[in-house]
Amino acid sequence: MSTELIKVTINEQEFEVEKGAKLIEVCREKGFGIPSFCYYGDLALQASCRMCLVRIEKMPKLQTSCTITCTDGMIVTTQSEEIEKAQRAMSEFLLANHPLDCPVCDRGGECELQEMVMDWGDLEERFVERKNAQPEKFLSPIVANDPQRCILCKRCTRVCDEWMGEEAIEAGNRGVNTVIGTYGGWLGCSQCGNCIEVCPTGTLLDGVYRHETRPWEMDQTRTTDVYSSDGMQLSIGSRGGEVHRIVARDRYVNGLNGEFLDVKARFAHGFINSKDRIKTPLIRYKKGGKLIPSTWDEAIHFVGSKLKESGNNVGVVASSRLTNESIFTLKRFATEAVNSNNYAVSDAYDLAPFFDNLSAPLCTHKEIRHAKTILLIGGEPEEEQTFTAKQIRQAVRNGGAKFIVVHDTPIRLAAQASQFIHVNKGSLDAFALAFADQSDATITKKLGAAQTEIDDLLKTIGETEGDFIIMFGGDLSAEAQAVLANVAGSFASDTRRALLHPLPLYNNSVGANDMMAGKKPLEEVLRTSKALLIAGSLPEDKTDLLANKDFVVVQELFETATTEYADVVLPAASFAEVDGTFTNNAGFVQRVRKAIEPIHQSKPDWVIASMIARELGADFGYNFSSTMVFKAIADSVPAYEGLRYPLLKDESKPVQAKYSPVAKRDLSNEFAALRRKVEALPETSEKITETPRVGHKLHRVTTMTGKTDQFHLLAAGNPKPENLLVSPLVQFNLDGTPRLVEMAEAASVNVKDRIDDKETVASKVVLK
Amino acid sequence: MATAVPTDFTNQVVFTEETATFSPEVIEEMRSHLTKYPEERKRSALIPLLFVIQRERGYIDNPGVNFLADFLDLEVTDVWETATFYSMFNLRPVGRHHLQICKTLSCKIMGEPEITEHVCNRLGIHPGETTADGKFTVSLVECLGSCGTAPMMQNGFDYYEDLTVEKVDKILDSLK
Amino acid sequence: MEIKAIGCEPLQLKRVGMKDSHTLKVYQETGGYESLKKAMNMTQDDIINEVKASALRGRGGAGFPTGMKWSFVPRQSPKQKYIVCNADESEPGTFKDRYLLELDPHSLIEGMLIAAFALGSQACYIYYRGEYRYLIDIMDKAIEEARAANLVGKNILGSDFSCEVYTHTGAGAYICGEETALLSSLEGYRGHPRMKPPFPAIEGLYASPTVVNNVETLTSVPQIIEMGGEAWKKLGTEKSGGTKLWSVSGHVKKPGVYELPMGYADMEKFIMEDCGGMRRPDKKLKAVIPGGSSVYIMNAEQIIGKNVTLDYEGLVEAGSMVGSGGFIVMDETVDVVESTKNLTEFYKHESCGWCTPCREGTDWLVKIFNRISIGEGRPEDAQLLLDICDNIEGKSFCPLGDAAAWPIQSAVKRFPEDFKKWLLNKTNDNGYTANV
Ligand SMILES: Cc1cc2nc3c(=O)[nH]c(=O)nc-3n(C[C@H](O)[C@H](O)[C@H](O)COP(=O)(O)O)c2cc1C
Ligand code: SF4
Ligand code: FES
Repeated sequence: MSTELIKVTINEQEFEVEKGAKLIEVCREKGFGIPSFCYYGDLALQASCRMCLVRIEKMPKLQTSCTITCTDGMIVTTQSEEIEKAQRAMSEFLLANHPLDCPVCDRGGECELQEMVMDWGDLEERFVERKNAQPEKFLSPIVANDPQRCILCKRCTRVCDEWMGEEAIEAGNRGVNTVIGTYGGWLGCSQCGNCIEVCPTGTLLDGVYRHETRPWEMDQTRTTDVYSSDGMQLSIGSRGGEVHRIVARDRYVNGLNGEFLDVKARFAHGFINSKDRIKTPLIRYKKGGKLIPSTWDEAIHFVGSKLKESGNNVGVVASSRLTNESIFTLKRFATEAVNSNNYAVSDAYDLAPFFDNLSAPLCTHKEIRHAKTILLIGGEPEEEQTFTAKQIRQAVRNGGAKFIVVHDTPIRLAAQASQFIHVNKGSLDAFALAFADQSDATITKKLGAAQTEIDDLLKTIGETEGDFIIMFGGDLSAEAQAVLANVAGSFASDTRRALLHPLPLYNNSVGANDMMAGKKPLEEVLRTSKALLIAGSLPEDKTDLLANKDFVVVQELFETATTEYADVVLPAASFAEVDGTFTNNAGFVQRVRKAIEPIHQSKPDWVIASMIARELGADFGYNFSSTMVFKAIADSVPAYEGLRYPLLKDESKPVQAKYSPVAKRDLSNEFAALRRKVEALPETSEKITETPRVGHKLHRVTTMTGKTDQFHLLAAGNPKPENLLVSPLVQFNLDGTPRLVEMAEAASVNVKDRIDDKETVASKVVLK
Repeated sequence: MATAVPTDFTNQVVFTEETATFSPEVIEEMRSHLTKYPEERKRSALIPLLFVIQRERGYIDNPGVNFLADFLDLEVTDVWETATFYSMFNLRPVGRHHLQICKTLSCKIMGEPEITEHVCNRLGIHPGETTADGKFTVSLVECLGSCGTAPMMQNGFDYYEDLTVEKVDKILDSLK
Repeated sequence: MEIKAIGCEPLQLKRVGMKDSHTLKVYQETGGYESLKKAMNMTQDDIINEVKASALRGRGGAGFPTGMKWSFVPRQSPKQKYIVCNADESEPGTFKDRYLLELDPHSLIEGMLIAAFALGSQACYIYYRGEYRYLIDIMDKAIEEARAANLVGKNILGSDFSCEVYTHTGAGAYICGEETALLSSLEGYRGHPRMKPPFPAIEGLYASPTVVNNVETLTSVPQIIEMGGEAWKKLGTEKSGGTKLWSVSGHVKKPGVYELPMGYADMEKFIMEDCGGMRRPDKKLKAVIPGGSSVYIMNAEQIIGKNVTLDYEGLVEAGSMVGSGGFIVMDETVDVVESTKNLTEFYKHESCGWCTPCREGTDWLVKIFNRISIGEGRPEDAQLLLDICDNIEGKSFCPLGDAAAWPIQSAVKRFPEDFKKWLLNKTNDNGYTANV
């Protein structure tokens, strides 16, 4: 789009608009409402609903404003008798075969079709014949489908194809029999649920939320995703202290991700109100004894006295799922309350080497979408940073970006790549070295890729005008990350920006790195401390380091392998119950807002830490206000200087922490270490040839996702039920094995029972 | 154009991972279709290849779809969306002889109803059904471009035109 | 069935009736491929100008001037250009292309090669409707013959012009006759029409410049090159050049494919004499659909004694259209409510389902007709039908919606008696009375 301005006349008013602007957008911006269903900003044009008709002078017939680009001197009418008649006619057509039972439809109250009909107010029903009927069914454990409510706007098939690159859902059959579905009727995709999100009617429905409550009865709270490091903005729907649903609809949120969410962000919220949540503080008075419920007063007192006994030997561990406020408070707890430098983050991937060597700006998701060249080294964004993956796909598909994947596994995203450098198993470090130090051609042997492949890559980068983005994550060694982060800046030129994008695994990995400056490796802290305060659980392979500790306090939502070693377990509040901030992988500091009051007796992690600190005689001066904690962060963490909650209010304009790029450092030590690592790699190594299964990481059952039943079926391979008309949960045990008794019952509910036999041509021939 | 496309194909498929196999000659024939289109446009061959699947396997069955998806580097759902659009693809098994009687205007006014009635009575089935021995399926279809020689029907790809009841009898007798 | 020319020398039908007319031998003996040789000695612009001068209008139904369509192709574009022949012929009442393809396949190959030469294309596709399987075999043989004679393939006739001709099949979808839907189908997708612009001439098959022409349009091209555009045009009228094939079906004695000069006078004579008159002499002419099912139906008063000329202008004046030239003649035994119902069922079956008005509208219309046909018609249904048609017409994504609306609109207006019978008396001539 150029910035040249042209004149268009809409309803006799003249406007200056950008040349090439889309008429429907211009009209809406200027306040002339235009109804539409199939038009959807970031998707390919469809022009099939025929709702957005307008009259344009000198053009025959009414025109669809969604397909018209403004030209100079265009004269447009958006309201007239003729147009209204046409638009009413389209609504009438759409309603012809659409059930008129909004009160029983799950989308009732937030259905675009209902909204439009209500706006007309006086639609007369002239259709008296029988409606085409189709039974409700399931497309997957979490996508429920009521095909007769479909208006075939095909937003779902377009998001599936354009955003997800999955083409899992398509239109089948023809004409009035067209249905949206899949071959075999079962969705074997990543279950992102974006099709549900964009569906304007009650056709695709959230199977986790279905029939729980009505949309207007819920309070909507805008907040940030607790799973992925992309920091997707979402809206929690809660009623009476219970979280029922998570959506990203733009009517509630207009965050960096638009209406995009993934399967975990959208559906895995069952843990919040799970019956397994720890309800009260628990104390194990004797090692090997039982955890016994107690009161907060007693627990804090008990913890205080035990920690005092341990003197300066207390370690503090924070999970990178926690808010900045909690992690920051935990660090202060270590340094101020127990006088210890033994603090760590329980995330296996340490971002310090990346941020300490940052030679180029962090790139935002918007910049990914419009990048010209993207280099992905390792990682699996389509499973871990799903929104980043979507931006990459769109950059390639809509922006013609060059996308280069360097990986030891042919990940799914590699199918979109213009170049795929398939390296030997486990030899990404060798690539980092070869890329950063192009003088040494012997490395490519270890790499399992030809030097020409790297030359091609460098050529592509050299030819790039616009943004060049390097992304990588924790599958590179610390030295490799340091080296890559430090050479990135050297790719910048007058016409090219070099940008970096880390691929951390947790919602607040970046924030944790920022909050815990001076942190030590997790294992060191676990080994050297006598007593420990742990917020969140440890990776399972680290828990046995807790044996033989004098005293272990764990702040948790659930009983886990870590709490087995705990002397005291304190119930922590989940992200839906606290105020605070997360920092995403683009460095955006985004608000977390309290949707419901803390469940049972749980408290925010930072409150718990403050309470213990006070017991130990240290007061952080927070007055139990998260605002104050954040102010303290802003005052002491340089990148967050000057930030305040009010500045973070508008999620459509996220605020980036200010990471100052470091100048090119002398990295000879890192290079040497990296070279040693690469030299230790085997000469020849087998290549991984199998593309990992969709959802192999997304669908994993973890402490959190496991509380949503549907994830067990997904993790068990998403088996197709015998009868799609009956919930898959009824037909399977949660491990994916069939439930035989119910299945027999389910199978007896037949399609035939639900729909009357269709009138067929057959009935007209009378057999003699 | 066969009418009566099964309206709920989605529910009917028992999904299998099984992939159809074909003789080298058939594979060769399929390859020969690919040569007509630019290399990166393999999908163009989808419709011709679906016809091959239909000929070889009787209808567009699940293993056949799996095969095509592999052969053309498509998702099975891509094959499905295309296959269900076109009325000549049988998504369920049909009889050995698929009698498609044209029911559009010219044939209609030239005597299609009598022909249909006669065929159905002789075979004892309604349009859209298959005889118990699996020999005949009768369908009513839209105009087949034979209006000047109406009424007409098609068996497989063979045209039978200027039909009369007597002629239909002879045709049915001659079909093995 | 008759296949013959009336009122002119057979051009399209020149080889009909000759033994082995589909072979290269017969084709060449009767002057075949001479036009190609001639064209290859002309400049590209000259060829296009000849076609423009001929006033040839597309014979597929839309009647767009062919020369103009060709001149939209950006010949300098580095992309491959494609010539696609629309042999989908699914318009009810139309079967002319079928006989051209069966009896004279080489004339199509020659026409396509001339078009390819004129537009700098190296690849031609012929898109057949799936049911025309036997014709594909004929064409494949013809292409092989032509290839053996160095008329298709590399360095045609020793020149540096190379061009391939491929056959491709549809699989039963009327909408794939619509040029952009045809291209979707040719790419292996569902046959949904595409947005225009970009027009196929700019971005068609595989997003490359593409010309889509009907079979008859392309088989006219060799004649035009042979006799010159002007001369060819003179066969017809000033605005509608040349000759045209008409497919005649229904209640006439001699149905068939007739080649008439454009502007043939008049329609009544054509039906009553050339086509042998009414099939049952005691039954009067009731209705004619002159251009394939998608045009306005005409009643007898619009034809008898009205000197309707058979060309684009004449038929519009008389209240209908040339369309694809599919003449469906109906005598008084036909109930127009039933015939209209029949066509509406066709459009419902063939609606691709992309856009709201056509998908839902045709379904609704059929339901109304079904209701009427079981005796539950209501007086207000006539207006309802018109209203629904009005809501489809001009609002659908592609012209199929219009095509579904026109037959009904014209039937209700031109055959009020038939509708009255069903909507007021709830009975038809056969004595069927609704069991109210
Ligand atoms: C619904 C619909 C069906 C059509 N069917 C055919 C057809 O079967 N054969 C044909 O040649 N053109 C058909 N057309 C016309 C084509 O869109 C296109 O105009 C034609 O192929 C162009 O060729 P021409 O300029 O040589 O006529 C159809 C158009 C529409 C809207
Ligand atoms: S009018 Fe619409 S639904 Fe009908 S065939 Fe055209 S695009 Fe498809
Ligand atoms: S109407 Fe039957 S073949 Fe055309």
